[in-house]
Amino acid sequence: MHSLIQLSIVVLLLPLLSFVTLIFFNRRLPRRGDFIGVGILGTAFALSAYIFWTVIVQSYDPAFRIAWDFTWIDLGNVPGVGPLKIKMGIVIDNLTAIMLAMVTLISLLVHLYSTGYMAGDKNYGRYFAYLGIFTFSMLGIVLSDNLFSIYIFWELVGLSSYLLIGFFFEKDSAADAQKKAFLANRVGDIGMWLGILILYSQFHTFSFSEVYANLAAGKFALSNAWLTAAGILLFMGCVGKSAQFPLHIWLPDAMEGPTPVSALIHAATMVAAGVYFVARIFVMLTPDALHVIAFIGAVTAFMAATIAITQNDIKRVLAYSTVSQLGYMVLGLGVGAYSAALFHLVTHAFFKACLFLGSGAIIHAMHHEQDMRWMGGLRKHMPWTFATFTLATLALAGLPLTSGFLSKDAILAGAIGFANVEGGGIYYLIPVLGFFSAMLTAFYMGRQIWLVFFGESRTHLKPADPHHGDHHAHDSHAAHGDDHHAEHGVHEVSWNMRAPLVILAALSVFFVYSPDPLDGAKGWFMKMIPTPATVVGAANPQIGSLPAGSVLPQLAAVGALPETHATEGAVAPAEHGAAPAAAEHGAAAASHGEAKGGHAYSDPRQAEIVHAGHAAHYTAIYISSVMVVLGIGLAFVVYVFGIIDPAKTAVAIRPLYLFSLNKWYWDEIYQATFIKGSVVLSKLLSWFDTNVVDGIVNGVATLVRKFAFANAGFDKYVVDGLVNFTAFSVNTTGAVLRKLQTGKVQTYVVMLLVAVFGYFIYYFTRLIY
Amino acid sequence: MEQLATIGLNHYLTISAILLCLGLFAVMTRKNAIVILMGVELILNAANINFLAFSKYNGSMQGVMFSLFVIVLAAAEAAIALAIVINIFKIFKSVDVSSIDSLKE
Repeated sequence: MHSLIQLSIVVLLLPLLSFVTLIFFNRRLPRRGDFIGVGILGTAFALSAYIFWTVIVQSYDPAFRIAWDFTWIDLGNVPGVGPLKIKMGIVIDNLTAIMLAMVTLISLLVHLYSTGYMAGDKNYGRYFAYLGIFTFSMLGIVLSDNLFSIYIFWELVGLSSYLLIGFFFEKDSAADAQKKAFLANRVGDIGMWLGILILYSQFHTFSFSEVYANLAAGKFALSNAWLTAAGILLFMGCVGKSAQFPLHIWLPDAMEGPTPVSALIHAATMVAAGVYFVARIFVMLTPDALHVIAFIGAVTAFMAATIAITQNDIKRVLAYSTVSQLGYMVLGLGVGAYSAALFHLVTHAFFKACLFLGSGAIIHAMHHEQDMRWMGGLRKHMPWTFATFTLATLALAGLPLTSGFLSKDAILAGAIGFANVEGGGIYYLIPVLGFFSAMLTAFYMGRQIWLVFFGESRTHLKPADPHHGDHHAHDSHAAHGDDHHAEHGVHEVSWNMRAPLVILAALSVFFVYSPDPLDGAKGWFMKMIPTPATVVGAANPQIGSLPAGSVLPQLAAVGALPETHATEGAVAPAEHGAAPAAAEHGAAAASHGEAKGGHAYSDPRQAEIVHAGHAAHYTAIYISSVMVVLGIGLAFVVYVFGIIDPAKTAVAIRPLYLFSLNKWYWDEIYQATFIKGSVVLSKLLSWFDTNVVDGIVNGVATLVRKFAFANAGFDKYVVDGLVNFTAFSVNTTGAVLRKLQTGKVQTYVVMLLVAVFGYFIYYFTRLIY
Repeated sequence: MEQLATIGLNHYLTISAILLCLGLFAVMTRKNAIVILMGVELILNAANINFLAFSKYNGSMQGVMFSLFVIVLAAAEAAIALAIVINIFKIFKSVDVSSIDSLKE
């Protein structure tokens, strides 16, 4: 076993240790054991950082990959199927190393932050235990080398998310939100499981590398449509976990959880797991599946952005912003901008965690006021929070010099390139929605910054709220009483909450990722995460039929690559079929410095898209910069200069305003369709049960009763009659005979004499005749 | 009338039969247990007369010996029966056999 694998196992198990220790012993430990959580995560982060250093910095090899597995369950030789095994294993490649460092870092910062934010909570120890199990399951997803274990950790992540959303379970809204999140995830997970089963039914393996090797060798016996279906079903897991369009409804409600949890789970890591998973299965997605993914991502990004502009709850704005950004990542994967999407995953994780922790600091300082309408003027009171929050906002809006700019523009460039290659008018909808969402993002973030930090405090404007207690119950801090009024209580948060903000904000600057503030492709990240070669060529005749001459120059430049590679499935899978093997070619090409970006594309379509994306790079920068400036400008016009009054505008476009404020009425639609539908269906089934099923049962019961009555009659009159008759005759006989038994000795003597005389008479009669 | 001059076997047997009938009559009709016992004694003595009469006209001593046996037996029987009667009296406060019919039920 490679030493890095051993280290990664230690990293994986450390948070589990934290969970087990804290869940059982937190009440017996000083400070409820929070130092154990922080310390263990610190250790895990140190080890992850070492892995990151070794994998990314030292080896600096796009094709780096080590794997280790063991047979977990051996089902033996199943009749009619063959030998079946379920393996568990760990894979470490560049993506894993980056994710490992990212997850442990954000988890560590959130742990640290929570020691301040959650101080005084009555379930303080349990909170850290939950953070531990969450981190464990998230690391499990990142390290898994097969679909089966990823599914297990996927569900564990869903469970810990459920536990943390409902952490303040005394509140009905939190309990409802956790149920909603769990159910929505469940819908996605069913699809994911079906997708896994389609692949398992074909290849009898869950391992990524084996599945891809089999696919590349053209061993997928079903039609291409099945492969597309498998891809879309697996993507459904992502739709649930990453809150994509039809199942996005749970994420905004998940804000009922403690704010650091929102930062860790519902902004940075768990929701990114869906994107990470799609990246892991990227090489087996057919073009059709990718189109579906791209459109769902685009719709999600746009829809969530339009909702975010009218929300008043500071966390809800961020939640919809998260949905929107996740839409970007999914869009990026769908259009084939693989590196860009994962780049955005990482940059977004840092700046969105920063935003959430910042909003937590604000909420903490405002004594659990979450409505932006009653904030304002916090800039002077909370300079640290203001500075970091603003920096993260700029990154989210995608202003140049920030990390968000690099990744978002890479995605948008990829989207333009994709639309160019596909050539159809409808495909231009994807970049258009993307750019429009970028503008909306800039607008709503500008609005948020202005409402929260600038102007004068509006705390006194807040109408008397009969449910005031609810707000205080929100994070249920015993330390903060009602008498503490927000106006004179606002203060900067303590160092343990400030430090994570500063670190995360620092990671939102461009030079962390790329030396060129305008081009992420020049940075280490996109070099280390090259687009992997697709493995569906053999199963995809449309692609295979493309004339070899149309392949772009890059392909020709990669001399080591056979021209027929994977497109006709003629290559031995062991050598070229698997993604890592193909990536090695990329590495070789990169060292020659011949191919732009150093990528090897086995699939001309993919190559074309990436190339077109590079070509569209500057177009994307121009358009998105204009869009961002437009968005921020609009926010200034509305909220700073007051040229347009938001209230009047809202009245003027009331239907649109209400449409956005009510989140496109998705909750209502689901209420009216699925929930009502379920209720109606249940009622129908209940009617069927009471009338048909019960009717049959009751009918049978009646028949049995009738038969029993007949039977009872026979028993009563015939059998009992015989018995009674016997008894009666015996009784009668007895009654007659009893008369002889007088009990008087003299009667017996008389009888004796009668008998003797009778005998004599008989005897003498015989004697005479 | 000539026949009256000598006492023959028939005379003995007739006496014995009368005695037996009297005894039976007493046993069957009396209510007092002691009288019934007396009836039983009469029956036994009727049997004794028969034994002695047949012994005399048969010329053997077997009948005599047997009648002696019967007398001894009757004495023993009387002793036991009187003891029983005394016990009955102790339990039922009566020696009326018609009222002693517990065996009936």
